Amino acid sequence: MIRDITIGQYYPVDSPIHRLDARVKLTMTFIYIITLFMVNNFVGYFFVIAALTGIIKISKVPIKFMLKGIKSIMIIILFTAFINLFMTKGVHIIWQWGFLSLTVEGVILAIKMCIRLILLIVGSSVLTLTTTPIQLTDGIEYMLRPFKKIGVPAHEIAMMMTIALRFIPTLLDETDKIMKAQQARGADFDSGNLMQKAKSLIPILVPLFISAFRRAEELAMAMEARCYHGDENRTRMNRMHMQKGDYRALTMGLVYIAAILGLRYATNFFPFII
Amino acid sequence: MSIEINHLTYIYNQDTAFEKKALDDVNLEIKKGQFVGLIGHTGSGKSTLIQHLNGIIAPTKGEILVDGENIHRNKAKLKEVRRRIGLAFQYPEYQLFEMTVYKDVAFGPTNMQLSKEEVHQNVVSALETVGIAPELYEKSPFELSGGQKRRVAIAGVLAMNPEVLILDEPTAGLDPKGRDEILQAIKRLHQERGITVILVSHSMEDVAKLVECIIVMHEGKVAMEGTPKEVFCHVKELEAMGLAAPQVSYVFAALKEKGFDVPLDVFTVEEARKVLLNMVRQVSV
Amino acid sequence: MKMVKAEGLTYEYIKMLETDHGTEEEKVSALKAVDLEIEKGEFVVVLGHNGSGKSTFAKHINALLEPTKGTLWIKGMDTQNAELVWDIRQTAGMVFQNPDNQLVATVVEEDIAFGPENMGVAPEEIRRRVDEALATVHMEQYATHTPSKLSGGQKQRIAIAGVLAMKPDCIVLDEPTAMLDPSGRKEVMETIERLNKDEGITIILITHYMDEAVRGDRVYVIDDGEIVMEGKPKEIFSQVERLQQYGLDVPQVTEVAHLLRKEGIDIPADILTVEEMVGALCQLKLTI
Repeated sequence: MIRDITIGQYYPVDSPIHRLDARVKLTMTFIYIITLFMVNNFVGYFFVIAALTGIIKISKVPIKFMLKGIKSIMIIILFTAFINLFMTKGVHIIWQWGFLSLTVEGVILAIKMCIRLILLIVGSSVLTLTTTPIQLTDGIEYMLRPFKKIGVPAHEIAMMMTIALRFIPTLLDETDKIMKAQQARGADFDSGNLMQKAKSLIPILVPLFISAFRRAEELAMAMEARCYHGDENRTRMNRMHMQKGDYRALTMGLVYIAAILGLRYATNFFPFII
Repeated sequence: MSIEINHLTYIYNQDTAFEKKALDDVNLEIKKGQFVGLIGHTGSGKSTLIQHLNGIIAPTKGEILVDGENIHRNKAKLKEVRRRIGLAFQYPEYQLFEMTVYKDVAFGPTNMQLSKEEVHQNVVSALETVGIAPELYEKSPFELSGGQKRRVAIAGVLAMNPEVLILDEPTAGLDPKGRDEILQAIKRLHQERGITVILVSHSMEDVAKLVECIIVMHEGKVAMEGTPKEVFCHVKELEAMGLAAPQVSYVFAALKEKGFDVPLDVFTVEEARKVLLNMVRQVSV
Repeated sequence: MKMVKAEGLTYEYIKMLETDHGTEEEKVSALKAVDLEIEKGEFVVVLGHNGSGKSTFAKHINALLEPTKGTLWIKGMDTQNAELVWDIRQTAGMVFQNPDNQLVATVVEEDIAFGPENMGVAPEEIRRRVDEALATVHMEQYATHTPSKLSGGQKQRIAIAGVLAMKPDCIVLDEPTAMLDPSGRKEVMETIERLNKDEGITIILITHYMDEAVRGDRVYVIDDGEIVMEGKPKEIFSQVERLQQYGLDVPQVTEVAHLLRKEGIDIPADILTVEEMVGALCQLKLTI
């Protein structure tokens, strides 16, 4: 159960998307997310879906993995759909009961919101599935570097992310083990009211925290032993180089933005587009 | 209480790319009061097997019978099974969480909803069995030494008064002194309480010293079963499975190869002394 | 110049004790005036039970702890000289007990690069060193794997490679096999021996496993912060009762030999391996 959580699930194949510079992918994902909120009609969504499908195809990652992330936020999607379905005020009322009303506008908005959320998750999955955590953190470190002058600890943030990613599987395994051990001592995590359930977590959380602190202490010592002293005079084995493909991808990104903007204003000229 | 395992098969992550058969048609019987050693290298399926015995994972195929009854037939009874079959995981000290040693050991019996007196009795008796002195009862478990912590954690399982106690690598990472203290405690609880003990271990020397019967797991199957004498004379087969017999067994295997008339089923230091003494003295007479 | 030299090395710390009269301070001496010398290229084993002070000693070599009294020199560098800290850590690398808690990166080769990156080594040179270190520990095919999916023995070999990439003269290993299964222990011990024999790296192995200690050139036994025995493995292990008194074991065959000697049988006291035992018994039979 606990192992289903997929954070930083890199899918190791070789594809043009995998080879792209992490900084380019980060920028593109950022642009992509912003454009999702600029699109306001189904033609626009159709275009985004087409573009995303194309990218997924090129990335060689099975579509199944891309859709995996949706499962974990299903509740949020359903909740959003519900709110939009019944809470949207509109003129074309289909059904009404008390303050709940189902309107044509509501249905359309709900569908749009769901599409938006799904596209958001799938789009960010493309980034995490095709970029190793190392490249990702390196990319973030690089892109935060200009903000260092105003006190943003770029290197420290990246190092913390790396360590977090490194230890997530370890700590998940550990949680699993501790849960089993306490279960073997008769602990019950499923029954009881909310208060009892919260209390039953203590036998898991205390050992988990103690272990995490011990690990942190040992890791800090191991890092010191390997001459770690922040990013002063630090070099990197893999430097980031922008290749031809990266520039090509950025150009395509610009075309994409233009298309999205175009489609947004198209509604001004073709009012029948919803 | 007897445990019977019939055609037990377990597959991890079934129907995914990571599918892995951890247990493959395992058939075993563990009798009341037995002291069993379970050996096998990492990934042989022994950890998966012991988690089945305690009902923490359910079989993909096959059944586990406790006193003739399938433990998964009645979900409500599963908790009872977990009490009767105690399981101490590897590095059990990592499950300690309470403010005092006493409270931590009381966690299990309290979960069983025993009366305060019964809890007290169980806790004190369990701590005595593992050799933790009363002055330590009110200490924080985190102040103790590694070996003491581990014994407290084992007492936590023992305090539930199980009829079977399963210990996964109870001596891992301990120094000789800590190891001997744990093994002493295990020996004592088997003798004094007469409960069935299943000891999972990599250390053949430990197993050789204590158990009456050995089960060897290999690639999810039971590869050998028998008394230590029967198992440890198969030095070559054990080696092929990535295991080793106690060092003494190798001496006798080598002596036999050189044409000496020695028994092959010697595996403890004490026995070796006797046999070799006899051998040398016979020759000199 | 000696690889490691300690003179009167003492380490004390204050421990808070909860008593009936409130918290009290107690001074604990983890190391008491330790003197020792380790030559370049030696394979030295430091034996002792848990809490004997052996890990405290290991941490001093890497300048992770500073002596309270006395001096410790690593290749002539005083570990109390703050300016030399990075040179000392590069000269004497360290491998810890828990394989999980010393790997930093999410990819094996990035982890091995961590040390040289901290030292400011040029990228091409780091690449070269990482490949070389991976080859030395026989883990080339795992270069792009995730450490969390490796076995304990493999993780420990990666940790060793991470130290190797810093080009140390000496590696201190603090109970590197305590958390491993027998096959993992074997992998790690073979790697350590190879580093010593083929690469000429000075090895300081801290352990409580006797079968590992017999492979060293020289053994120090440490008990309650003091060095109580020093010598070749054969000299140390022939003193079975004394070792047991310090909470240590001897290999089974050594113990059998010891027991036979007690019965008046003329068998060497310094038997450490199965082959030696079998040889001695054959000899015994021939002479009779």
